[in-house]
Amino acid sequence: MAQIEQSDKGGKKKKGAQKKMSIHVDFTPMVDMNMLLITFFMLCTTMIKSQTLSIALPTNEKVEQQEMNKAKDSEAITLIVDTERNDDGSIKKDDEGKAKNIVYYYLGKPMVTDENNDSIFEDSNLMRETFIGNDEQGMQQGIRKILHNRNKAVLEKIAVLKQQWRNKEFSSKKDINDSIYQARAKEIRNDSTLTRPVVIIKATPNASWASVIGALDEMQINQISRYQIDNINATDQGMIDAYIRNHGN
Amino acid sequence: MGKVKIKRKSTLIDMTAMSDVTVLLLTFFMLTSTFLQKEPVTVITPSSVSEEKVPTANLASILVSPEGKVFISVSGEADLANNPEEWGSEPLRKEILKNAVAKYNTLHPSKKVVLTEQDADVFAKIGTFGVPFQALPTFLRMSQTEQDKVITDMNRADVGIPIDDNTDLNTPNEFQIWMQAIYSSGNENLQALMKKGEGIAVKADQITPYSTVHHVLDNLQTLKMNKFSLLTALKTESE
Repeated sequence: MAQIEQSDKGGKKKKGAQKKMSIHVDFTPMVDMNMLLITFFMLCTTMIKSQTLSIALPTNEKVEQQEMNKAKDSEAITLIVDTERNDDGSIKKDDEGKAKNIVYYYLGKPMVTDENNDSIFEDSNLMRETFIGNDEQGMQQGIRKILHNRNKAVLEKIAVLKQQWRNKEFSSKKDINDSIYQARAKEIRNDSTLTRPVVIIKATPNASWASVIGALDEMQINQISRYQIDNINATDQGMIDAYIRNHGN
Repeated sequence: MGKVKIKRKSTLIDMTAMSDVTVLLLTFFMLTSTFLQKEPVTVITPSSVSEEKVPTANLASILVSPEGKVFISVSGEADLANNPEEWGSEPLRKEILKNAVAKYNTLHPSKKVVLTEQDADVFAKIGTFGVPFQALPTFLRMSQTEQDKVITDMNRADVGIPIDDNTDLNTPNEFQIWMQAIYSSGNENLQALMKKGEGIAVKADQITPYSTVHHVLDNLQTLKMNKFSLLTALKTESE
């Protein structure tokens, strides 16, 4: 382990000269132990901290119902997220192994045709879209495109702001630059003079949690400040049923 | 012909440099990492573009397993070295247990739960808990390995905090009792954060049906804890 060697070079020793000693300490066991400790720390720790998405649910007091109707019909858009499931309840996957999340949406108020008045709708203004992000050119697709178009006024202003932020026009210091950008972006998002959509997010009981988060995520991506989560009602379910009857799955 | 002399070389390798490197690596891992929380179920959270980080201190986090079982974990103040009178995780959990059990016993006088001081100490050390009140005494008196075995078994009926669609706060269900106890634990920082929505986090697996998570969201709404955060992982795809 540790040894002291005497350098011994042929009997020419001067009298009185100090003996040269070299000390070897074998560090191999120390390295072994360190490696074990490193392995332990690597396996037992997390480096990635989770992100959070903050949401606010409406209070469930009854006054809310009238407040909600105040949203202008031209601005309102209702999303109903759903996930395709197999008969055994497992999630259907596409070719790439991603879950098949779909989103139904309608603009303004639900409009249904109910010829026999039996609550089985023949048709409605419900439409279906997919959750796909941007294509190769960076253009929005699917539901993102629809939300993008509804919130164009805000997004255009934010794009200008973002350019300024990238060029560090607000301040040369990074954190000051960031905070000014954030504050301005928030102002634009909440600017009531612009036409901004009000998004109501609903989910069918089958919808996966990931699809609900996905819908909330679209709000962040499209800089939509007014959105809320609501419970699905019979009309919504009826509209989805009618859509599936008319268009297939 | 002269003989070729083979020099005898020592096979000793100097490990000092290697040892230096490993010690540096070890220091790095020790300083940067936080330990994995022991959780009854491993959930894969859905991804989002949000960049807000989850706080590590003063957080009540609600874990929803894909089967619909609910677990709660509470953490108190992180920096206790400077002000030892603050609420650390362990005294906080003890206080919560005391409040919750007292509340449960007033609501169910016929099935009182009696816990000893020792049980409370055991409870304070548990990161994520989730058993019905009636099962608490037996659960807390088990050995740690047994506790782990029980709490990770999702098929057991006595695992997970019972939760239902109750909307009347005069007769709260067990989940509501716990959340109220956490809210009124006396830790003012936690209470303030819970009001702001940063102190409550909901964690659910990405494949969990919405109807399951909805249950928890509905209960939070009933508790007037309308603001909270949802735990997500960072999205890898670019914006």
